[in-house]
Amino acid sequence: MTLWSSLGGSAQSNAAREPARRPGIGTTLGRIGLAMSVAFGALAAGAGYWQVFQASELSSAPDDAAVIAASRRVVRGEITDRDGERLAWSVEDENGEPYRVYLSRSLSGVVGYASRTYGTAGLERAFDAELSGVTAADPVQDLLKKFRADPSDPQALRTTLVASLQQAAVGALGDDSGAVVMADPRTGEVLVLASTPIYDASAIADPATSTATFQALAADDVGRPLLPRATQGRYVPGSVFKIVTAIAALGSGAVDATTTFEQQPAAEEDGLLVSGFRIRDGHHPRTGTRALDFIEATEVSCNIWYALAGLETGGDRLVDWAGQLGFGAALPFDLPTAVSQVTGGDGPAPGGFLDDVELANAAFGQGETFVTPLQMALATSAVANDGVIMRPHLALAFSGKAGTTTISPEEWRRVMPARIADQITAAMVEAVNGDLGVGYTTGAQAPGLTVAGKSGTAELGGEGEPNSWFIGFAPADDPQVVIAVVVEHGGRGAARAAPIAGSLLAAWKAWAGQ
Amino acid sequence: MTLTAAPRIHPRLRRRELGLLVIAGLALAVGSMTLELTRRLAAGDEVATEPGLPFANPAALAIYLGAVFAAHAILVLTGRRTDEVLLPTVGLLGGISLLLMERLPQDLAGGLGLGTTQLVWLTTSIAVITAIAAFIRSDAWLRLYKYTWAAFGVGLLLLTFVLGREVNGQRLTLAIGPFSGQPSELLKVILVVFLAGYLSENRALLVEQSTRLGPIRLPPLPYLAPMVAMWAIALSVVVFQRDLGAALLFFAVFLLLLYVTTGRASFVALGLVAFAAGGAVLYEIVPHVRTRVDIWLDPFATASGAGYQVVQALHAFARGGILGTGLGAGLPEVGSLPPGGIPALHTDFPLAALGEEMGLIGVMAILGLYLVVIERGLRIAASAADDFRAILAAGLSLVIGVQAFIIAAGVLKLIPLTGITLPFISYGGSSLLTNGLVVGLLIALSDRGVGPPPPPTAQRGLRRVFDRGAA
Repeated sequence: MTLWSSLGGSAQSNAAREPARRPGIGTTLGRIGLAMSVAFGALAAGAGYWQVFQASELSSAPDDAAVIAASRRVVRGEITDRDGERLAWSVEDENGEPYRVYLSRSLSGVVGYASRTYGTAGLERAFDAELSGVTAADPVQDLLKKFRADPSDPQALRTTLVASLQQAAVGALGDDSGAVVMADPRTGEVLVLASTPIYDASAIADPATSTATFQALAADDVGRPLLPRATQGRYVPGSVFKIVTAIAALGSGAVDATTTFEQQPAAEEDGLLVSGFRIRDGHHPRTGTRALDFIEATEVSCNIWYALAGLETGGDRLVDWAGQLGFGAALPFDLPTAVSQVTGGDGPAPGGFLDDVELANAAFGQGETFVTPLQMALATSAVANDGVIMRPHLALAFSGKAGTTTISPEEWRRVMPARIADQITAAMVEAVNGDLGVGYTTGAQAPGLTVAGKSGTAELGGEGEPNSWFIGFAPADDPQVVIAVVVEHGGRGAARAAPIAGSLLAAWKAWAGQ
Repeated sequence: MTLTAAPRIHPRLRRRELGLLVIAGLALAVGSMTLELTRRLAAGDEVATEPGLPFANPAALAIYLGAVFAAHAILVLTGRRTDEVLLPTVGLLGGISLLLMERLPQDLAGGLGLGTTQLVWLTTSIAVITAIAAFIRSDAWLRLYKYTWAAFGVGLLLLTFVLGREVNGQRLTLAIGPFSGQPSELLKVILVVFLAGYLSENRALLVEQSTRLGPIRLPPLPYLAPMVAMWAIALSVVVFQRDLGAALLFFAVFLLLLYVTTGRASFVALGLVAFAAGGAVLYEIVPHVRTRVDIWLDPFATASGAGYQVVQALHAFARGGILGTGLGAGLPEVGSLPPGGIPALHTDFPLAALGEEMGLIGVMAILGLYLVVIERGLRIAASAADDFRAILAAGLSLVIGVQAFIIAAGVLKLIPLTGITLPFISYGGSSLLTNGLVVGLLIALSDRGVGPPPPPTAQRGLRRVFDRGAA
């Protein structure tokens, strides 16, 4: 302040000649000086934005030059599963340059690969900066390491994965394309993130076989083995989406667990008329002409009841509640995720639906609805964990020279009260174990566990078998694991996905009981 | 120019300048040691076993510092009461440039190599500063011939249009025989000289009169002509030379000086509206402008294509963080091929390299040095003896300040990137010599000696008549 006032003062002789109403040169010079100070202050703020606020994100991004350079010459940290089994480690070629080796092909969809020629994918890509030692997981360590003689500090990554369950999941999917997600709903720790078909990541990483392997994989646009389906596959959900509709309908109060719809039994015979369009559903032989309540409708997977519940909820609220579960945006996950959607979103009706027909169809998962398996696992987690979704994650701990940084569980969203979650749990228990559900989801039962779940048969339109879905969790009274299974063209949910879930939940029980 | 008679010269100590120079010299010495130690560590050498103090290229630094201290000695011997802060400030900026150019891949420049070539230009620039600061005592040669200078400038511009050599799709370089340079660098000085002459002469009229157009008060229409001419020149430079940076610089300095002279914010607003309108039209019709703006809006969308340069620069800033990686510890590939190479790093993006190696604190220090140059220049302007000198000094300091702002803001993605040099740091002779000229003139203008203001001219007499009429 004193600076500029002194400038003004020194120009008194000039100002004397000026008309009083215009500022003299001394004054305008002072103002210009102030303006330039503000402008350079803005530059400093801009530098601060990139060098402080954006620093860690940009400098640890997989396409950062330092990350790329380091990934070529540094011996990367090992990746292990939660019990310490090595999933990925480095060996040296004849020139003494390191390259990666992987425990099993079953990990390809989650661990990915790190190749000198073809870059990185999966966890190798997401944590490239940490694994190659460009960034530490702890910002204070990151600042301090500049003062060490050798600032490179590759971190070992301990993941939340269970190698044996991952292998079991890939084995259960067999030759089919599909995905399995298993996670602990109490912590958000992902135990299994399987995607088939699998590929040989070691062959991509090995300089001797790299080119041939990668080009063959990239050229396969039928099986598309390089697509990590659990996080980036977008599938028609079919009836498993009814759990999302149930969360929206019960959570918003549009319906309650005792709601019945008078027109539902008749509509099973000749279709439900919505805006002049008839929505048809098969008849549920065991329920006669009874109007079903929420639990019964879930047990027999009644499309008509869910269409009516969806209409009662309305497009706006359905999209909003799905958004709470993670729809409409990338998920806050360690790996990049595709965006799940309830509707295409550009229609004139509330929520972006085209009309009530699309809304009614979406309510049972057959509209313009597309989901990732991880998204369905998250929605299931909300039910299993009393309405609270924990942030899903794969990284459990990083350890390097400077010690170990542990990633703690963190709450992501509180979606609904525990009371609503309990009502949906009850319906999902009946869907797997109830008398009416027999023949739909029985395969998901696992010895010694009470499984809650929902199957789905996602019609794809046209020819071809539907996608087979199952989502669920166990034990129902104290949920410790959620599971989402999708088998492409696997047929009815009961046929493929539910038995896979049953066998994997049994395998989980064996692992957890150790 | 007139040289004063020898008997009037008495050596006069410049203690503040000496003190600041010693600080700058120490800082540069420490920087040089950092560079060398980093190099030895990276090469795996035993630091202790090599004899002598670890300086990177000690000869180059010694020559440069020698030149700067020699300049100080000459200013002491000539004994003028001039500014003592500008030389150390600019000397430090130039030294930072020298360290950076020594550290980048030397094949970025042909012939002697990047560092040595820059050393030659830096010492020449210091010599220019010294010669002008020590020996120029009259401004009559600038004041009297402003239209001659303007004609010279326009001629230079036309010559570049016609004879210019195209480099990177921009027709900026003029080559005559073995000499080549970028006339737009010299043009900015000529522009300031012309504006100082024109604005000081017509100041009273510009301040007082208005043309009323309904409720809007426009500047007096006859005197709007140079404004329109400036606007047209700026736009034509963009269209024909594709030199967005120079156009932006010319127009910004013009508007700032117009405000300094008249104190009328409405002129500036009008100029900004005209600039925005021109910019909008250019965005539509000149693909080059549109590309630059689109890159600015979202460089990450084309991170491996058009936006590569900007994105890599932002990554470099991010890698530097608060403290920086240390001089010499940035990316070794910097400046060369991908990955990590920033095209035109040594000319347009030196701030990104310095941001990586010196961190946020280094960037803020460099920005602070430019602010010191601006502040000293405006101070010189405020205490100038008359309007011409005041506007000239303000214009000279703003030319450096605004130019630094334009390129720094472009590199930091605050405004669209325009290729323009960072004064005293970027590689290149034209830029260093012209900025040396600017700083030399500023120091000369700051003379608070006993010499009287220059004699009144016929034009000043005419102006008195006008002044009387207005009063």
